[in-house]
Amino acid sequence: MAKMSMLIDLTRCIGCDACTVACKQENGTPMDVFFARVLNVESGTYPNVKRLYIPVLCNHCEVPACLKACPNKAIVKRHDGIVLIDQDRCRGTGACVSACPYGNIILQESELWYLNEDEPYERDNVKPRLNSGVARKCTYCAHRVDEGLDPACVVACPTTARIFGDLDDPNGKLRMYMKEQQDETNRDPFCLLPEAGTKPSGRYLGPMASQNVSTLGQAAQPEVFEEATP
Amino acid sequence: MATRFSVPGRHGSTKAPGETRVVRTTDSPNCTGACGWLATVVDDVIVDLKPAADYPCTEYNPRGCLRGMAMTHLIYGPDRVKKPLIRTGERGEGKWREASWDEALDYIADKMIHIRDTYGPESMLLFNQVVGTGYVQKGAQVRMAALLGMSFATAYDFNGDISMGFTHTMGIDCVECETKSWGHAKTAILWSSNVFQTRIPDAKFLTTVAKQRNNCKIIVIDPRCSQTAKGADLWAPIHPGTDGLLALSMCFTVLEGGWVDWEFLRKYTDVCTLIREDNGQRLRASDVGMGTDMEFMVWDETTDSLAKLPTESLKLPEGLKPSFRGTQTVTIGGNQVKVTPVFQTLEDTIMRDEYKPEIVAKTCDIPAETIREIAKEYALNRPSSIIIGMGVNHRLHGDLTIRSILLLSALVGAHGKPGESVSIYSGQHHFRLDVSKWWFPDGKRPNGVPMHYFVMGEPTTTINPKIKYPKNGFKALFVSHGNPLVTEFSTPLKEAIDKLELFVTIDFSMSPTCDYSDVVLPAPTFWEKKELVGTSCHPYLQIQQEVVPPQYDSRTELWMVKEIVRRVDPTLFKEMDFEEPDIIDMMLASGGKEVAGITYEQLEKGPVRLNVHDPEVGCDEQFLEDKLFPPRAYPFPEGAQREFLKTGRMEFYKEEDVFRQFGEAIPIFKPAFSHLPVEDQKLPLSIVTPHSKWRVHSTHSNNRVLLNLNRGAVVEINPRDAAVRGIRDGDPVEIFNYNGSYKLWALLTETIKPGVLCVDHGWWDRYLGGGKYHSVHTHQKVKATHENYYLPAVYAPGQHWKDTRVDVRSVK
Repeated sequence: MAKMSMLIDLTRCIGCDACTVACKQENGTPMDVFFARVLNVESGTYPNVKRLYIPVLCNHCEVPACLKACPNKAIVKRHDGIVLIDQDRCRGTGACVSACPYGNIILQESELWYLNEDEPYERDNVKPRLNSGVARKCTYCAHRVDEGLDPACVVACPTTARIFGDLDDPNGKLRMYMKEQQDETNRDPFCLLPEAGTKPSGRYLGPMASQNVSTLGQAAQPEVFEEATP
Repeated sequence: MATRFSVPGRHGSTKAPGETRVVRTTDSPNCTGACGWLATVVDDVIVDLKPAADYPCTEYNPRGCLRGMAMTHLIYGPDRVKKPLIRTGERGEGKWREASWDEALDYIADKMIHIRDTYGPESMLLFNQVVGTGYVQKGAQVRMAALLGMSFATAYDFNGDISMGFTHTMGIDCVECETKSWGHAKTAILWSSNVFQTRIPDAKFLTTVAKQRNNCKIIVIDPRCSQTAKGADLWAPIHPGTDGLLALSMCFTVLEGGWVDWEFLRKYTDVCTLIREDNGQRLRASDVGMGTDMEFMVWDETTDSLAKLPTESLKLPEGLKPSFRGTQTVTIGGNQVKVTPVFQTLEDTIMRDEYKPEIVAKTCDIPAETIREIAKEYALNRPSSIIIGMGVNHRLHGDLTIRSILLLSALVGAHGKPGESVSIYSGQHHFRLDVSKWWFPDGKRPNGVPMHYFVMGEPTTTINPKIKYPKNGFKALFVSHGNPLVTEFSTPLKEAIDKLELFVTIDFSMSPTCDYSDVVLPAPTFWEKKELVGTSCHPYLQIQQEVVPPQYDSRTELWMVKEIVRRVDPTLFKEMDFEEPDIIDMMLASGGKEVAGITYEQLEKGPVRLNVHDPEVGCDEQFLEDKLFPPRAYPFPEGAQREFLKTGRMEFYKEEDVFRQFGEAIPIFKPAFSHLPVEDQKLPLSIVTPHSKWRVHSTHSNNRVLLNLNRGAVVEINPRDAAVRGIRDGDPVEIFNYNGSYKLWALLTETIKPGVLCVDHGWWDRYLGGGKYHSVHTHQKVKATHENYYLPAVYAPGQHWKDTRVDVRSVK
């Protein structure tokens, strides 16, 4: 038994969306479907504003609400903890979409694509890999994990903000990184919406930058000179 | 690499059919990131791009970003130019006929022969972008221009990437450390630089390394709470255009605090050289019968007498202790002349009340205690770095701002160590090897003319005499790897194009510049041709592979210029008759010490580190080896820059008449908008145009995957500015001034300073609600202090796009 998990370090994340695009490419998702999103948060009133990027994806919960909700038993939890929607068994009821407290499952009535229909890139290499009319979500790139590879979003992250591993392995890279960060930067991992009770496997470490602002707070006013100077 | 398996279900997953191969390559877009990729190719279609993550220095792994990864959607995108096109309607009318290559090339060659024979070959102008990223293909175009005697406008200066403040101070147009060096910093000032969006592959050296390992203090100076401000400990929302004043006020604080590195100043700068009171020139050894006019005098405190600065090395002779202050009287030609060290003048100027933080605070909108705090952190919490963004430079007086920032860095000696530099990653004119042998056949160079004069339609009265403006004006323009009708102020550029007999654009996407052309030639993307690629971001040389053959009916630039030369002057064809591997070998063999010993075979296997210091800290030969400034700017010969940096040291005093005429002999502050007509100055808002996460300049503007993530063409506006204009979030609005206007949509955000608008750089016109992007920018102007010397893209006129003022209104 293992508990595959992804830790996202918000100090490292620069909100660049490379994960989002890598995921789309790896999983060949249609327009408007994003398994790995990055929430762009702006809070406060000028000048006291702060920014935060929160990458979100399926949490592969220990007690998945989606799994319980599916009337067709299309959702399974593997021995390594990865939660999958069986594309052949899903009937597109959308029950899982409503049940997921994180909004990370997507069901579209019809699909739109990016390229002209005769382009082999999508016609031959992307569209055939997906069933239509079924619920979809992040699989932690289970097909890659089965080959001993990290998920696409992890290998594409230019700031190495995403760390993937077995949460139950005390000597694995995930636990090692968490321990190192507890010791060196005094940060403890947390998860999103623990109150939903689904026991998510995804973990986060918080931002270290203090984001202070210093200004007199005036508006930039025009300054008018009597005549133009060379 | 991609696995190409389907989404697994209860019964596992299946692998897609097709012959699969994986190719290691690099891309070479205009961001100049030069990231290594593994491309998965199935039946000659690129289906997946993942970072190669194979740099021997593992800290660089992985390199890549969303734009690089989304390139498949431009390679196979609907705007791809598939065949040569010849215009059949009016310019810009959108009427074309597809032509064969023979037909298109014959058409171009016939016009070129006519123009050459009627007006002279220099009437034909080549303008290709970011030559420093593609030595073979872009070089082939320059070689053609040289062979045919054409004119060549370096894009670097027209873009405003040239940083004349660096040229004036260091004798070279930009200085960069390799980005790995950022990781050593304990203080990092991002001066209007937004590396979280513009240097995505390198940002980790700030977050993962500098912040996490050193708890580096990251300071962002920017009118916007930029994406990078997310990672900052301090954000100072400065009033646009006052950066130079802030820098000088920080200099004030450093002088006041006594945090000056005197030994650094003595060795690396001109501040101890003596200035003659009678003519404002530096005191030379020839003035006092002690040597030549290229040797400069200081007052030696040890011997209390005049002494010469060494001209062979920066290292000062044993015992020499140049003085910083005090006026002396010397005898020149029988006359008594007073001479004063530069430092004395600098100190007397900077310590005036006008640069005192308490006075500056209101103009910059940054509290005096914060100015003092930033200066103190920078001076004392070492190593400390500054990264300058292009917004600072895209102003008429951006040169003064950069000179002021460099003065600050010199006062505290923040150069020459890991984590200590002032870097500006501007557009990459920083060639990594001497490309002359390929670019300039037998040393013959094309006729260099800055694009500014093409746009203005005539030379200025102050144009440098070295620039040969064509006697019959310009009659033909070739644009390649660029989209100037989007990325530059398009109205006057279009007017200049309207006077031409031939306008050819070479591109892979049907850009707005292609739309206005007479002939469009389909080029391959950088996934379809062989190239030798370098960058200033990291010190690895890489080969870009022909991952798939040139798609549709595109042809490499090398092939195109061969075919043009064959038609225009067959006697010159032998000069072009090379293939990519020969050319790479030729450049490696003659490229200089940085590439000595590096072979084509090595590069075919993966990235090879240049023969440079590790880490590169910027001006390594000067700070680590005591060689005189300036660092050599390839592809110009050693010594070509000496005339504009005669002392061989960082110059904070410019002695040429033109500087004194404008009161700019030393760095001072000049208000950003003061050169505009008064009615422009009165417009209520300023505007910033940062680079967006979803584009490289205007490339990817039309990438449908990135458009799917992007929110469309918006202007960021503070809710207070919106409220007084009755603008609500999402409203269609028009930005306007006396130069022009364009329409887009309002995005109300608290992340921008009131009084400032923000529109992402590089929107193609069709994504706007109407009008032309960039049409509100200032008219072309050239600063005379950028004309007193000329070395293409090293000493040449810059730009001042950001000096425009605007207003915005709701449109129904």
